[in-house]
Amino acid sequence: MTDTHAINGHGLAEDPKVHLVHLVDHAAHLLPTQGPIGVFVHHNTLHAFQHKMFDEAVAEASKLYGRQPYLTEAAFRAELKRGRILPADVEAILEREEEGEILPNRLSRRQLRRLLLVPGLREFDARTLPWLLDEGGWLERFRDDLGSEARHALMHDRPGALWKACLAKVPPGSATVPVIDRPRDAVLLATGVDVDEVVNPVLIRLCGAFLDQGIAYWSMPFREEGLLAASRRLLLAKMTFYPMGLEGLHKVLKDHESRKLSAVEVVMEMLECLDVPRERWGKVIEAKLLTLPGWAGLIRMLENQPHLAPHERLPCSLMEFLALRLTLDAAAVINAVKGPELLKEMKNHVEDPAKVRLGEVAELFEVAQLVGLPSHELREMGPEMFERFIGEVKACNDLERRRIFQKAYERRHERQILIPLRKHRAMPPLRVKGDRVAAQVFFCIDEREESIRRHLEEVDPLVETFGAAGFFGVAVDYCGLDDPHGVALCPVVVTPGHEVTEQPVAEHAHLHDVRQSRRRIWAKMAHGNFISTRTMMRGWVSTVTLGFFSIFPLAFRVLSPLTYAKLMKALNKQFLPEPRTELTFMRDDAEGLAATEGLLRGFSIQEKVDRVAGVLGGAGLSKGMARLVVFLGHGSTSLNNPYESAYCCGACGGYSGGPNARLFATMANHPQVRAGLKERGVLIPEDTWFVGGYHDTCSDEVELFDLDRMPEDHAADLARLKSSLDKARARSAHERTRRFATAGWIADAEGGLRHVQERSEHLGEPRPEYGHCTNAVAIVGRRETTRGLFLDRRSFLVSYDAGQDLENQALARLLGAVIPVCGGISLEYYFSTVDNTGYGSGTKLPHNITGLMGVMNGYQGDILTGLPLQTVEIHEPVRILFVVETTPERLMSVVRANPELTEFVENRWIRISCLDPDDGEIRVYRGQGVFEVLEGEEEPLPVATSSVEWYQGHREHLPLARIDGNHPVQVEVRVA
Amino acid sequence: MNVETLAGLLVLVPGVVFLGLAVTWLLGWNGQERILARVTMITYSLLTLGVAALTVIFWQRGLMVLTVSFGNWFEVGHYGFPLVLLFDRLSLPLAGVTIFLVGIVGSFSVRYLHRDPGYFRFFLLLHLFGFGALLLFTAASLDLLVAGWELVGITSVLLIGFFQHRKEPVRNALRVFGTYRVADVFMLTGVFLTHHWFGTGLWQELFPGTWPDNGHALHGAGAGVVCLLLILAACGKSSQGPFSGWLPRAMEGPTPSSAVFYGAISVHAGAYLLLRIQPLIAESWLATGFLIFVGVTTAFLATLIHRTCADAKTSLAYASMTQLGIIFTEVGMGWTTLALVHTVGHAVARTAQFLRAPSMLHDYHRLHSAAGGKLAETGSHYDSFVPKPLQHWMYTLGVERGCYDALLERFVLTPVRYLSSLIGRLEPADWAEKWRAKKAEREAGEIRVNKSGKDEVHV
Repeated sequence: MTDTHAINGHGLAEDPKVHLVHLVDHAAHLLPTQGPIGVFVHHNTLHAFQHKMFDEAVAEASKLYGRQPYLTEAAFRAELKRGRILPADVEAILEREEEGEILPNRLSRRQLRRLLLVPGLREFDARTLPWLLDEGGWLERFRDDLGSEARHALMHDRPGALWKACLAKVPPGSATVPVIDRPRDAVLLATGVDVDEVVNPVLIRLCGAFLDQGIAYWSMPFREEGLLAASRRLLLAKMTFYPMGLEGLHKVLKDHESRKLSAVEVVMEMLECLDVPRERWGKVIEAKLLTLPGWAGLIRMLENQPHLAPHERLPCSLMEFLALRLTLDAAAVINAVKGPELLKEMKNHVEDPAKVRLGEVAELFEVAQLVGLPSHELREMGPEMFERFIGEVKACNDLERRRIFQKAYERRHERQILIPLRKHRAMPPLRVKGDRVAAQVFFCIDEREESIRRHLEEVDPLVETFGAAGFFGVAVDYCGLDDPHGVALCPVVVTPGHEVTEQPVAEHAHLHDVRQSRRRIWAKMAHGNFISTRTMMRGWVSTVTLGFFSIFPLAFRVLSPLTYAKLMKALNKQFLPEPRTELTFMRDDAEGLAATEGLLRGFSIQEKVDRVAGVLGGAGLSKGMARLVVFLGHGSTSLNNPYESAYCCGACGGYSGGPNARLFATMANHPQVRAGLKERGVLIPEDTWFVGGYHDTCSDEVELFDLDRMPEDHAADLARLKSSLDKARARSAHERTRRFATAGWIADAEGGLRHVQERSEHLGEPRPEYGHCTNAVAIVGRRETTRGLFLDRRSFLVSYDAGQDLENQALARLLGAVIPVCGGISLEYYFSTVDNTGYGSGTKLPHNITGLMGVMNGYQGDILTGLPLQTVEIHEPVRILFVVETTPERLMSVVRANPELTEFVENRWIRISCLDPDDGEIRVYRGQGVFEVLEGEEEPLPVATSSVEWYQGHREHLPLARIDGNHPVQVEVRVA
Repeated sequence: MNVETLAGLLVLVPGVVFLGLAVTWLLGWNGQERILARVTMITYSLLTLGVAALTVIFWQRGLMVLTVSFGNWFEVGHYGFPLVLLFDRLSLPLAGVTIFLVGIVGSFSVRYLHRDPGYFRFFLLLHLFGFGALLLFTAASLDLLVAGWELVGITSVLLIGFFQHRKEPVRNALRVFGTYRVADVFMLTGVFLTHHWFGTGLWQELFPGTWPDNGHALHGAGAGVVCLLLILAACGKSSQGPFSGWLPRAMEGPTPSSAVFYGAISVHAGAYLLLRIQPLIAESWLATGFLIFVGVTTAFLATLIHRTCADAKTSLAYASMTQLGIIFTEVGMGWTTLALVHTVGHAVARTAQFLRAPSMLHDYHRLHSAAGGKLAETGSHYDSFVPKPLQHWMYTLGVERGCYDALLERFVLTPVRYLSSLIGRLEPADWAEKWRAKKAEREAGEIRVNKSGKDEVHV
């Protein structure tokens, strides 16, 4: 090490400001990474912990955030009772773990764990325990669900005696009591004043005003100077009153202002003022930021990526947020403890040791009953043996039990999917051989498209469907005809290098002008109306004169949303002419080639060839194309739903993928592109025509683009496909309604379609659709393997043909995108389900949109991140199960070459398995390079003649089934 | 069916539905959504038809006043509690709006609250609220009005605290409850004094004639006192003047209840009371001055705060408060018909806005793109008229919500707390000590054997 190095290194470590910046950066990793809610991108909620093993990470995060790592034990027990987890599953998981002896010839580790899992401890906590002992009958008789052996052993014992024995075994003072980190908790214990309740309202109002993107009529003055400076100026205004808990704040702020302290300096001074020793700075900063994680996280996101702000970019800084928070905190703490000297003397235990001890006694009491350990034996047990015994009991604590349950829960799921899949694969394929297929339709890999694909193939067996990530390989910055500016239509990890604009064709330019000028007029009127009903004088005039008339649209909209929407659509059509448009996507002109900066306008021929070949080749469709190949992007439209973007296409960065599909089709129709493709081995027949389209997963609307450019001789093919698509989308909509209790039982497909359309237009509908809810599987392979299989809209389907991908290049590309995207979705749903108010955002009903940036509960709360209850309520929190149609060696070579995939797979954030493309054998990955061959036959594969026959009358998750129209036998007995 | 029966049914039906639902629930019915939804929709469809029919009858027959009497509830000496409903040109429009909006919000909520564990509770409270509001608007006497007033108040509080598992809603509901109780003191004193000094609580005896051209039969200093007391009571309900701080706190409830209570019906109850006693207000320059002062200052302050609110619901709450301030001013100025039109128009428009609040992102996005990515700047005339430092101060006042909570804490709550702790010292302290000692023992889990030989925890 050279001298300069040493000095630098030393200096860095010493300078407290630099140190602070590091600490804040470190703590910032723990904050949620959800940007403004208008663009919702699914990601692993615990992304910051992804370098650790899943079980380790959820446990650690649960401790740090105070949130649930898995479903509760009670929930798992309910699943056990329902038969969703079988005793065999628990047994299988226990058998994977190490065995050991605890009480000689009496109790082994597995036996103990088995008892702790089923029937397990009764529910109690420090608050309910005295009642349970007093009134709950705990001391009157032993549990009545004990095994015969235990009951026999306890025959001559009394619960009271056993309780006393337990009490004697856990001496007072032996319990380990957690120590607290946050000054706020110490103050709360010592004085009864919750500092957060004093500080949060002020801080939230300031942050809300600072970040506002257009709700408030006035924007915050001086906000271009940053949160700290603007807030300081505000709080220093004369003739205003602070809450009493913040007395003295004025003086502190004035002092900071006069010394022109920077944010870092403020943080440092305030930490000293709060008497935090330097070695605990990190902990305290973490705790402070996690008090309002939503606001802090949003500020951090905007600090790193200012362009995420939907309308106005702001100079955000987490350090300033922290400085403001600490300044307010310090004032509040000093007021609460009446002088800083008291702060040092405060207790630092959150929990009462006596209560903790009582909990341990009760635990021992329960275990002794389960095991059948009478009081005299417990009393006589030697200290060494008792230590081992109690150590084993503590090792199988609540967290450990839930971990085992989770594994058992996932094991049953795995078998419910893989065994029927293998059976289906072993049966003759349902695809019609011989004739040329009528059409090929590409959908997004999205699990919500599974049903429409299945129905489409049911309606017209000559149609083939494929699944490819919904941006169809064209990452663009796209600006539609009506859009104010371009947006990136591609996965968030990709930065588009090309821009594409939609513009009217030359002869329709005048229509475009009319359309835009009318839209401007409408916007002006609507905006004027928005403001004028809310301000004072204009509000007076408008509510007196026009107010009453809003009764008509209100009643119409609420009572008959669908008719209202249709009327509005008709009016729009009447007044807004729709010009024919084209996409500017060529870049072979001189100007385009000469451009050196900014985004590239459109794509060159070579770039187009690359993209088309990538998608078609990846999906295994290099030859054998039908006369019509359709690409359907997707999105979702709904009202009453701040989470609208979460239901759109994840592969298009939370937007709709219609333009990508349109662009792709236009590229593939280009003669020069086709010539280029030929050289690359992708043969597109002369008579094949590509069509782009859009599917709305909420209203099940399907729209096809640029049909006027299609050669005339394709009209018949198109008519056939259109009618099949119409039937398929109606049937798919009908299938979706089985999940909605408000739909009742709808008899026909058309009724189902009407119902979902109404949902998308209903002002009061908090569940316009269920989004990715229930997603659990991702199958990467040929459609032949899954065609005719009822997957219940729970499986992502990625088309991939290992036979055409000998170098594994296509697989690497596919998995590189699919595992992070589907894994992210699955994990976001997992965490929002297991702790809906912690990791998720709780029920939508009191949500209140703030600053067009996020939602909060009530009138001043934290920004809520994650998914709301109404989105996850029917979700099964399992990690997604990947089935890749390839061999383990090929799969692992791809996974190991990509660090991100390695992390997902090796750290068990997803489950993965291989389906052998040749013999159909399934091998499940168990970690550390071990694949285990799937054995057993216990899950049946029922056969039904149509999807509707299988799902009709059921709201719950359905097992896989084979849908075979030619099958003579009626549906078999269904498995519960 | 004669007109009286029809009019009487309009008010009674929601009450009967409430009672019916509550009793069947107490008898063990689990409150299936579908049935509840159907009952609500049928009830309010019929009521809407009923109130429309009544309006037509009024118009055809040129009726000005219709009273429906159910006799006296009880009589004590000279006093009887009259159960009489009064339909006139003031109460009929308000009853109509109430029925219509509760129906719309009910229909909205059938979907909105689907699967919520509080579904039944919500609809039960909505029906009770409907009954309370109709009773309030159609009561022919101050006494009966109080009954409706309290029903509206309690349902309002219970719906603010609808999400009872979180701390904030419950705390804010209590705060609103407290405010209502304080305002009720004025109300009850006013009612008591009215009886004491004028011997009746019937509107038609207090204000003979037909609304809006009626006079009043109250004279003397007593009339002024009663008038001020009732104005203060109205301020409590309509979040005006000294009671203006609770409205944003009421935003904790589910969106439809925010709409029907704080956009539409409940907050306008105060304005209704003022319209009833308007002849009395006009008589006293003190009451007139006070009312106009309260209305104007609240309107100004609320609009100031509204302009700085960055969240959808609070923003709407203050916008409502602004218009209510203006309605109060209109009553003070004696423009009763205008005030009535304003009340109805405002209630309807605001309900629509509240119901659309969760769709705000969608709406704003559409608006923004239709405007070509640039919406007109807001607040520019204030920028040009008001000097910078003043602007800044006004903004601060807005963000701090008028410092209402800070002032209340400083000048009301703290003195009250201090006073009550003084009174508390008079209590003997030893029972609390004993209780604490017992609790500590129980928490240590010690057992002893009681007299009957059974084990129990040391209690």
